[in-house]
Amino acid sequence: MGNGIRERGWIPLLFLAPALIGLIVFRLAPIGIAIVGGFLQQTLRGETVFAGLANYLDLATDPVFWNSVRVTLLFNVLINPFQVVVALGLALLVFRPGPGVTFFRAAYFLPMCVSLAIVSVLWNILLDTQLGPVNGLLSALGLERQPFFRSESQALLTMIGIASWKGCGYWMMFLLAGLYAIPDDFHEAARIDGANAWQRFRYVTLPLMRRPILFVLIADTAINFLFFAPVYIITNGGPAGATDLLMFQAYQSAFAYLNHGRSLAISTILLVVIAIFAMVEFRLFRSPSDA
Amino acid sequence: MATRRALFSCTAGLALLASASAWAQDTPLNVLWMGWPEEQVEPLMDAFREAQPDITLNVERIPFAQIFQTIEVRLNARGGDPDIFIVDSPLTASYVARGYLLDLTPHLDASRFTKAALAAATVDDKIYSAPFGSSSALLFYNKTLLEEAGIEPPSTDPAERWTWAQLVEAAEKIAKPDQGIWGFVFEQAERPYQLLPLPMSLGAEMISPDGLTATGYVDSPKSVEAFQFYQDLYQTNQVSPPGVFDNNLTFELFGTGKVGFFVGNPYDLVNLPTKYPDLEWGLAPHPYFADGTPVTPTGAWHIGVNPNTDQMDAALTFIDFMMQDDTQRLWLKIRPYPPVLEAVWEAEADTTFADPGWAIVRHELTETARSRPATPGWREYEDIMRLAIRDIQTGADVQATLTAAAERTDRELAKYR
Repeated sequence: MGNGIRERGWIPLLFLAPALIGLIVFRLAPIGIAIVGGFLQQTLRGETVFAGLANYLDLATDPVFWNSVRVTLLFNVLINPFQVVVALGLALLVFRPGPGVTFFRAAYFLPMCVSLAIVSVLWNILLDTQLGPVNGLLSALGLERQPFFRSESQALLTMIGIASWKGCGYWMMFLLAGLYAIPDDFHEAARIDGANAWQRFRYVTLPLMRRPILFVLIADTAINFLFFAPVYIITNGGPAGATDLLMFQAYQSAFAYLNHGRSLAISTILLVVIAIFAMVEFRLFRSPSDA
Repeated sequence: MATRRALFSCTAGLALLASASAWAQDTPLNVLWMGWPEEQVEPLMDAFREAQPDITLNVERIPFAQIFQTIEVRLNARGGDPDIFIVDSPLTASYVARGYLLDLTPHLDASRFTKAALAAATVDDKIYSAPFGSSSALLFYNKTLLEEAGIEPPSTDPAERWTWAQLVEAAEKIAKPDQGIWGFVFEQAERPYQLLPLPMSLGAEMISPDGLTATGYVDSPKSVEAFQFYQDLYQTNQVSPPGVFDNNLTFELFGTGKVGFFVGNPYDLVNLPTKYPDLEWGLAPHPYFADGTPVTPTGAWHIGVNPNTDQMDAALTFIDFMMQDDTQRLWLKIRPYPPVLEAVWEAEADTTFADPGWAIVRHELTETARSRPATPGWREYEDIMRLAIRDIQTGADVQATLTAAAERTDRELAKYR
């Protein structure tokens, strides 16, 4: 019946075990396999051989890969700030109690409850150039039909649009929780000092929202770098590579071009890029008190 | 996967009861099959179950859009699952290179098969996939739309087949894009299978003789000319609906009377009347380029045995059953691919094949059918071309797109050199 801390040391581990095992099996191990696999190649007969940097050197000379890098960076530079700003705007809109606020909160969150695959199929139909209702509406209003996913210049922006339609409500919930965590005293004090609404937002809300915003930005960045399903379902990376995100190239490499080493090399590069982006974002949004 | 599945079924209480009698004799056989409608798969499987009650078939039907990826993932695990899988005939060489296919030469009587089917199944003089169906192409037309546009329907006689120019001229009279009415659509609008006959009709070879180089072939002047024609259907002539790539959608467009002409497969001879009994349609031979020769696609589904199967005897029993004359006649009834057995052609000559549509198919198979390019890299070639075709349809520069696709293909084919 010992109760020394040493004897009980295994009990917390026991409680942590289910989560830790899950983390190792579903997160850390695949990451490890991807990093190692990036240095391996499979022969036609399925034997695995060490390839050194061959997969990475092959990517370095591949114009399709570089186009994919460009598209992925462009996509993320646009979508992440956009989604955070929209999510913050939505959170501010539904923050104060008022008539119908619950309805709007639910409405903004609702797209999150639809699977991404179904979202893709739906928007693909809605935005179809000839048969889609959106173009039907445009044409009824006397406006020109838009190609959306079928146009090199519009496809990526349309992708950002549907990803944000689905994602912003979700991130809004985190920011809403952050807004509720700000004690009313701060706003009250600012009001007594004569601060107007903009000044209260700029000098009270925003600084105190740094951490929730940072969390949302980093989590959103990680998710958007791994954006895949709508590309697979709607555009297949086209037209002319306009939506050819790295995740789709990783998929194509493994399952269409039967090149697992390159697929894992792309995954590893993505991991590094996400880590770099997260670090930069962390530095930019770090509170002075965290320094 | 198989053991886990077995574990599940063992622990389920109901399964215990049900399997009490089957326990001693049960041989499970996992079959990875194309995702055809249930009524086009189950009758065959039921016939096998009846003939071989000791073998328990587990049939997985995988949709066309996922079948090739699924086969890659499952076979590349190099285990015994699946025991049997469906093989798209031009992929035979690719699967042989990877060691996915058992040599079936000792188990098949080569003399029973049509020449084209046997050629598609053979690599280095050995038969690696059991031929199960061939394919062809027919020009279907909507009688009502043609009549409304005052168009004299094309003849069924292959000697009087339409040129592509004639087809476009007629299609332009029908097409009303703003009302969702189109002149013409390929059933497989993004698939090299139905589209490579365009450059081939102009005399283009679509891969080097050794099957390992695409540059200079995929982007040859004749290939560019053919795919420019394809692009014009969507962009300039505006007779075809852009962005409709799914086979089910193109079929539905024709079935619901929204398209005048439709290049389809012989299985549509059954699918059309079943799904759209009210549609009034007719048939003609596949069009060709006036300054070229008629070319039609061919090749279709074969059956392969996983060399790592733990159920070798049962797997070979399955192949043997599927290769029987009666089985293939049943298959012809439920989903009519042109038969691969000479005996079936003969047995059905006065019944099924008395139909004028089948007379066209027979003619095409002997006179105009061309296989897809022979290359161990067909999986890569097909997918790169598919994406290029999508871009071309959307208006991308044809020459540049094909040149990029050829370079991409050569990169991927390097591993087979």
